[in-house]
Amino acid sequence: MECIPPVAGCSIHWMHSKTFFLDKQVLFPTLVSNLSRRMNLKGKIRSLISLLVFFVSFSSTALAAEEVRWFDPQKTGLLIGIFITIVLVFGFILYGKKKGSLKIRSIPGLEAMDEAVGRATEMGKPILFSSGLGKMERVATMASMNILGSVAEKIAEYNTPLIIPNYDPMVTTVAQEVVKESFSKAGHPESFKQENIYFVTQSQFGYVAAVDGIMLREKPATNLFLGTFEAESLILAETGNSIGALQIAGTDSTIQLSFFIVACDYTLIGEEFFAASGYLTKDPLVLGSIKGQDFLKLIIGILIIAGGIFSTLGYNFLINFLGK
Amino acid sequence: MRRQIPIVVCFVFGIFMLAQFFVSHPLLTRGYQNVLDWMQIIFVFALLVGALSFLILHLDKISKQQKEWGYNLVALAGLAAMVFLGFFKGIQKDSPFLWVFDNLQVPMQSTMFSLLAFFVASAAYRGFRARNFQSVVLLVAGVLIILGRVPLGEMLHSKIPESATWILNVPSMAARRGILIGIGLGSIATSLRIIVGIERTYLGKG
Amino acid sequence: MPVLPKYMKLNLDRRIIFILMAIAVIFPLVFKLGLPNKVTPEVKNLFGQMESLNDTSVVLISFDFEASSFPEVQPLANAILMHCFSNNLKVIGISLLAEGTALGEKVLKENAAKYNKVYGKDYVFLGFRPQVTATILALGEDFHKVFPEDYYGGSTADLELTKNIKNYKDISLIISVTDGDIPFSWINYAVARYNKDLAVLATAVMATSFYPFLNSGQIKGLVNGLKGAAEYEILLKKPGMGARGMDAQSMAHLLIVLLVILGNIGYWMERRKK
Repeated sequence: MECIPPVAGCSIHWMHSKTFFLDKQVLFPTLVSNLSRRMNLKGKIRSLISLLVFFVSFSSTALAAEEVRWFDPQKTGLLIGIFITIVLVFGFILYGKKKGSLKIRSIPGLEAMDEAVGRATEMGKPILFSSGLGKMERVATMASMNILGSVAEKIAEYNTPLIIPNYDPMVTTVAQEVVKESFSKAGHPESFKQENIYFVTQSQFGYVAAVDGIMLREKPATNLFLGTFEAESLILAETGNSIGALQIAGTDSTIQLSFFIVACDYTLIGEEFFAASGYLTKDPLVLGSIKGQDFLKLIIGILIIAGGIFSTLGYNFLINFLGK
Repeated sequence: MRRQIPIVVCFVFGIFMLAQFFVSHPLLTRGYQNVLDWMQIIFVFALLVGALSFLILHLDKISKQQKEWGYNLVALAGLAAMVFLGFFKGIQKDSPFLWVFDNLQVPMQSTMFSLLAFFVASAAYRGFRARNFQSVVLLVAGVLIILGRVPLGEMLHSKIPESATWILNVPSMAARRGILIGIGLGSIATSLRIIVGIERTYLGKG
Repeated sequence: MPVLPKYMKLNLDRRIIFILMAIAVIFPLVFKLGLPNKVTPEVKNLFGQMESLNDTSVVLISFDFEASSFPEVQPLANAILMHCFSNNLKVIGISLLAEGTALGEKVLKENAAKYNKVYGKDYVFLGFRPQVTATILALGEDFHKVFPEDYYGGSTADLELTKNIKNYKDISLIISVTDGDIPFSWINYAVARYNKDLAVLATAVMATSFYPFLNSGQIKGLVNGLKGAAEYEILLKKPGMGARGMDAQSMAHLLIVLLVILGNIGYWMERRKK
């Protein structure tokens, strides 16, 4: 292989190799089209594994001549942890699919979502949704968009105005798409107002000033703060409180949770925020993954207790292993 | 196909990023470096999208002379002024751009940040009420930390800062770690759902 | 039952609270109180770690803050920079937030001038790079690819301080001076992936988020808001803006406690009345 590692453009170089074209023309499209086809989950997983095997086998032949260090032993503990996580989460996803419906405990903040939307409709006032300061690559922002999808569907049914000021341009585009789709799903595409979902600024307190201003001018009946929030959480929630809005908040920041708890009516704590989309849509696949999450928590709990006992007795093998 | 392609792209990159963390294969390392470059490039384009969205929104409101459209005009004037100053007068020391930044933006934003002190006071006044046993525990812990984190606490009693540190490092830390573990697991499960295409609302193609 | 005075009613007008808070903050800034401050172990640890570095050590300081929090982060940045320059450590300044660029450059230059440090040899400022995650990860792979030029357009391959920096291996300590959650990205990517030492200097409202990582050893030092800055100034034996700010913060905290007591008296009197 003529590829020279330090050259950045060499990725283009190897793409022109004969082997790649042979594989690319025959195997790759087949695998991708398999994945795109409407097939069951098992079939999809099988196609995904084939695609993965394709990439691994291709890469090993393409760079066989180079010295390859396949695995860093320092990451063994982490790899095992991820493997267990994947097995449990997907195991429960399959279980959820098989069973059709799974029950998870009641989450007051999500139960109140209907009340929040209904209240705004009754009062004839808008609903304000903020996904905070998160960029699109953050899982909390994706979770926020997932909740927005469900909430927007409800909002569309009641024909209530929905205002979404955004901190990130990418999030703005995604939020517009999500709400548009939800309004169409609810059978009210005509009620979708793109101009109500807009980019404000990428300055933290500039954003706060804008959202506070919107709250004071538009007087929304409901504020939904779901996403990544930092020091601005209390300013937003207190302003919302001062205008008498019903407020539901959820964030992945532990410290800001305490501010939201003080100033909001309902707060989604910890993983409740990530479970919200499954809870609202009752999708068995999502609910299955939440069950898997619970089992992982159980395993972590056992490991914490075991680690505590062993290290108190002077045996540090568990800590040493997990520390890797 | 419009729905499937983003899911496939998401899956391939999700698995790739996971794999490259564990495998030190040169191909993956190079691919990873390319991904990092692309992330930065895409971000710059996203900023352009943001600026355009900002312009369109405010121009639309001004042209329709919607309620309080004067504010939209101020926003656009601010944007135009900073772009003009930045491009034509530079952003070096003693430039008008930096003057505006130091003398307008910094004090205005600091003012917004300082609101936190006022809101903390009003939230504490409203929130810390001894309604039942749990709220009494919360109240006592809160007061100890409020006093223990400033020199005043030390002046009142040497045990106050110690108690505050203990509360922060033991019960509060345990609770935070518990929540953090939940958040971590929630993030992992959500990521996995996104990678395999179960969760796709964020694509706008639920 | 006595009729409750207005100030003891449950819903004390928040404007009164705001005025009281303004007085509590402004008074100590005008009339110096000079309350004694005690140094916490986390600040002492960072100070000790900084002391253990020698004049060949390179410290990467990331000014991860915005204009809004500048009054609180400036004493933090000043304290750490004074320590770096007084110990002849080499400093590389960057910013992961656009607004932190001009402010970061300002504090870096001001402090370097105090110690007669030479640009390019003792310190450099590389400016802003967008996309936090990608920048942190890329710095671990190829430093010059992320920052081919410094803030002023000079090549980093030519500057004496940066020409031999390839990645995190050539950096002794990363310090994030922050008002947000960017240290989480430093922890997730620079610490977890590249095993690099990190210290965090954060505003008080954010600092509490980082304590779990301090205890787990993922952060080597944590300086918490104005109080932390004041403590660092004590260790440096150079009282400055941090110490002054602590008087105001003490008064603000005292007011909050008084408000909590007042609120509870009002609450209990109203309950008895009912």
